[in-house]
Amino acid sequence: MSFREKTAWISLLSMAGIYGFYFWSLSGGAGGVRLGLLDTIILLVAVQVVLNIAIAAFAPKDAKAPRDERDKLIEGKSARFAYAVLAACVALAVFFGAFTPPVVFNLNAFLFFLVMAEVLRALSQIVLYRRSA
Amino acid sequence: MGGIRNEIRRLRFEHGEMTQQQLAEKIGLTRQTVNAIEQGKYSPSLEAAFRIAEVFALPLESVFHHGKD
Repeated sequence: MSFREKTAWISLLSMAGIYGFYFWSLSGGAGGVRLGLLDTIILLVAVQVVLNIAIAAFAPKDAKAPRDERDKLIEGKSARFAYAVLAACVALAVFFGAFTPPVVFNLNAFLFFLVMAEVLRALSQIVLYRRSA
Repeated sequence: MGGIRNEIRRLRFEHGEMTQQQLAEKIGLTRQTVNAIEQGKYSPSLEAAFRIAEVFALPLESVFHHGKD
């Protein structure tokens, strides 16, 4: 497994786990335990930094190597896919928001769309690496 | 993408059993990308294809083929 694929796994699992807990606790789950948005972001950054340093320590040569053409192609394809997901979610939110006056955009709903797009970006990267682009 | 075949695996062994990692370092790609090219799962850019052919000191058409046979 390449270094870039490992970082995609870290993004996918950390975001799904930490933001998953955040949204679950918002909906009343998690036994009343609440994680604030700032705490969530700090925890996510800390987990990702620690895990990325750990995998870089095991393969320093791979970590230092620049992205090659296949890495860039996969990044481009997955970013395009994530953008389409994000744009569709925002368009739906605006469409349905327009029919429920007063128009109030829920910050957490938009955060959820953003997280979903990022999770799908990481997932599509992994799929493309598995299929070799 | 599926129509491009290559002789990289055979050529590596004919050039002192060169490893995928060694070839990758010579052409500035990762070992995983060389493996994907070798297996026909990824078609390299024209530039990368020329660099691979240069490593084996062969013309491009001796390394890569397009067609069914």
